[in-house]
Amino acid sequence: MILGDLLDAPVSGPSGDRLGYVVDVRFVLDGPLDGLLASPRLHGLLVSPRTGTSFLGYERTGVRSPALLARYYAWRHRGTFLVRWEDVDSVAPGAVRLVDGYRRFSPALHGPV
Amino acid sequence: MSDLPEDRRPAGRVLDARLHLLDRQILDVDGTPVCTVDDLEVHGLDGSDLPGGTQQAVITSLLSGAVLATRIFGGRPPASRWHRIRWTHVSDVGTTLRLGVRSEELDVTWQERWVRDHVIRRIPGGSHDPG
Repeated sequence: MILGDLLDAPVSGPSGDRLGYVVDVRFVLDGPLDGLLASPRLHGLLVSPRTGTSFLGYERTGVRSPALLARYYAWRHRGTFLVRWEDVDSVAPGAVRLVDGYRRFSPALHGPV
Repeated sequence: MSDLPEDRRPAGRVLDARLHLLDRQILDVDGTPVCTVDDLEVHGLDGSDLPGGTQQAVITSLLSGAVLATRIFGGRPPASRWHRIRWTHVSDVGTTLRLGVRSEELDVTWQERWVRDHVIRRIPGGSHDPG
């Protein structure tokens, strides 16, 4: 799977209701050791209900400057949530479907960004 | 920032693809710029090409290629046009991605090597160190 096919894909709930778009994909460096580093394991999808782009990540970090941009982008991406990979039912080109009973988590990043 | 519950804190370092990987410069073991990360290839741990949520998936390769036209007009390059750098070669992820190999060992730099061998070398004085 090419990640570009997943980014910006529409996300729907178990009943087919539109939830938003994949604005980013979260990986964690805790997969099987592959060479010099651990493999980045796909941890979850960041879903924003309003837009297909979130390239600056203001809604995920504590960055507050420049203030005007930070406020605008944080507002624009309000409602963004993280859904874990195990809560993804199926991935088809241009469509992501979540399982019944999927859970939403805060998209916040911890530690250095 | 959000009223949603916090996700469990994973043991490893967290990387958001767009925020920490895509469009980052890749440097080889000597610090020579190689290319940028244009896309990523993800496979299931069992090798499946289109993993669902029921199985773990990992990044297997960094992809680089001619993406200017597709970024302007949409779509993506065919799979045969991507140059792959296996994740095995990545040694560090920071502001740039560092590799543990020299760029000359990678397919992605074949154009530079071709220009060096077929153009630069034929220029008088081009086949030796100017020093």
